[in-house]
Amino acid sequence: MKPTALRRRTTTRTLIAASLAAGLALAAGCSKSEDSGSKSPTASDTADAGQKVATPAGDAKSCTIDQFGGTKLDIKGATIGFSQSEKEANPFRIAETASIKAEAQKRGLKLLTANAQSQFSKQISDVQDLMAKGANLLVIAPLNSDGWGPVFRSAAAKHIPIITIDRKINATACKDYVSFIGSDFISQGKRAADQMITATGGKGEIAILLGAAGNNVTTERTKGFKDEIAAKAPGLKVVFEQTGEFAREKGQSVTEQLIQSKPGITGIYAENDEMGLGAVNALKGAGKKAGAVKIVTVDGTRNAVQGIVDGWISGVVESNPRFGPLAFQTLDDFAKGQKVSQDIVIQDSEYSKDNAKADLGKAF
Amino acid sequence: MTDLALRREPLDRARLLTLLQEYGVYAGVAVLILANIALTPHFLSTENFRTQAVQVAPVLIVALGMALAIGSEGVDLSVGSVMALSTSLVSLYLGYGVWIALIVAVIGGAVIGVANGSLIAFIGVQPIVATLALMVAGRGIALVLLPQLKDIRDPAMASLGSGALFGIPYLVLIAAGLALAVGFTVRRTTFGRQLLAIGDSRPAAQLAGLPVRRVLILVYVVSGVLAAVAGVLASARLQASDPTSLGTLMELSAITAVVVGGTPLSGGRVRIGGTVAGAVLIQLLTATLIKHDLPPSWTQIAQAVVIVLAVYAARERGKR
Repeated sequence: MKPTALRRRTTTRTLIAASLAAGLALAAGCSKSEDSGSKSPTASDTADAGQKVATPAGDAKSCTIDQFGGTKLDIKGATIGFSQSEKEANPFRIAETASIKAEAQKRGLKLLTANAQSQFSKQISDVQDLMAKGANLLVIAPLNSDGWGPVFRSAAAKHIPIITIDRKINATACKDYVSFIGSDFISQGKRAADQMITATGGKGEIAILLGAAGNNVTTERTKGFKDEIAAKAPGLKVVFEQTGEFAREKGQSVTEQLIQSKPGITGIYAENDEMGLGAVNALKGAGKKAGAVKIVTVDGTRNAVQGIVDGWISGVVESNPRFGPLAFQTLDDFAKGQKVSQDIVIQDSEYSKDNAKADLGKAF
Repeated sequence: MTDLALRREPLDRARLLTLLQEYGVYAGVAVLILANIALTPHFLSTENFRTQAVQVAPVLIVALGMALAIGSEGVDLSVGSVMALSTSLVSLYLGYGVWIALIVAVIGGAVIGVANGSLIAFIGVQPIVATLALMVAGRGIALVLLPQLKDIRDPAMASLGSGALFGIPYLVLIAAGLALAVGFTVRRTTFGRQLLAIGDSRPAAQLAGLPVRRVLILVYVVSGVLAAVAGVLASARLQASDPTSLGTLMELSAITAVVVGGTPLSGGRVRIGGTVAGAVLIQLLTATLIKHDLPPSWTQIAQAVVIVLAVYAARERGKR
């Protein structure tokens, strides 16, 4: 090849590389986003929104460190490992991680964290890493319920107690892990149904925006809702069930189709807040008035609770992500040698037009 | 008699397949519309047609760029990630005003296009691999820039997403305008002809002295820019920037629209009218199944059947 041609090609390549680098620098460097007006919740905001236990202590099966087969230790000097399942990209995960970190800081404990970015193999190696780095106690938000064998074997060898939060692991409590702390998704569905019955007066046709398929949160929130409707309000008919995949965009698209083909729909039950907010977008776009279609959602994010204040949403059942205080209390009690419950079901609160304005600060 | 009939049959079958490939997608759209008029309550209303048109607009815009990439015997898998990147950029730059934010988002799409095109044209990476790399990187960058969903409250963005001119939503007008522009480019411009020649046979185009590298880079820049525009419009419609889920699986919807529209994957041919009809067909199919409250998995199966039919028709014709 002739030298001039070669030089020209090199120049082109350099130019391209430079433009790519400049583009990235520009993107990161001089952005100026819209002033959104909503502030992110701070520790003081959420201090009074901590979790409360729903199951009475001593009622369920319990676990002690002697049964588990470890030695007592003082949590003060211990290192705690926290493995998060999904990227902190949605309000639930953000609030969950923030709560764990805040509580560790409050108690002055050493905390190691890892995030599996929704990859199960990464979560397994994350947890093994945490143990290798010296964690004596583990808090895990599991991505999957199965496949934890390798982790349990290494944890058992080192007598490291594990507490799982928000999702359960299919294994033996007080042997493979100590206890599970989480919400009762069936009861969330039931309470959403109660809100729907109140909002609609128990008569009319309702639609369900389902969560992602093949997810136990979806199936349990659906089952609880339908069972309660069947038992308490025979006048309410579920006439439409489509997935919105827990995403706002899908919730909006599906609701747009719904209100075209069933203009007389009375209520929409969205299995998370994001789909509910998508439904609100769709109703606004179709020129409906606030409150014309009753919307009930589950989660308790600030946007959804604000939706109640604005009149678009009738009720929100909370799924409390602030596991920090309860998880650390459980670990503390357990490490000291006290009895802890194997299944700790938390009491989720709920929002309606009566308390939405006053409790907006508690939403995450 | 029978002898004659037998001899005639293969010819008829071939002609049928040609017709199926050429006009099948339009017939499919017509059948779905007629079936819906007969079976779906409230289908025949302007509101409903507006909803379908608005929902299909972003997919269609992405599919236009995809048609060009496929016409050049390539494919662009990065389009969904470019939408995510563009929604992040819009949100980050909205403080300067809508126009600046739009321009930055479009530049972002163009930069990804340059990267795709350079990998393909200069380094000789297969399009499917090069754009796969940018698909992964693009969403990564989008999430670094904006790690979570953020609401958009800008009134100009709101009116872009839900406003209309003479009763036709802006989204639909923009999509229609872009379809006309891309159609014109393919048929009437030098760039369009060069692109088809390269798609037909890259070595031949090279021997003929066509500026192969420049054209290929431009193809992916156009695809990136169109995907970025789609990302902006989708964010305007949603009134939020959601880089975690915006544009996921969009590359597959776009490829489906292009292939169902009769553009062969082997390159050298681009059918813009067919691509528009292909996108509309998939939209109507999804809408029909949702309106009749059939299980979501049925939508996927129905889409698969349509794709198999389209590819079958194209393959049989190619064998001739």
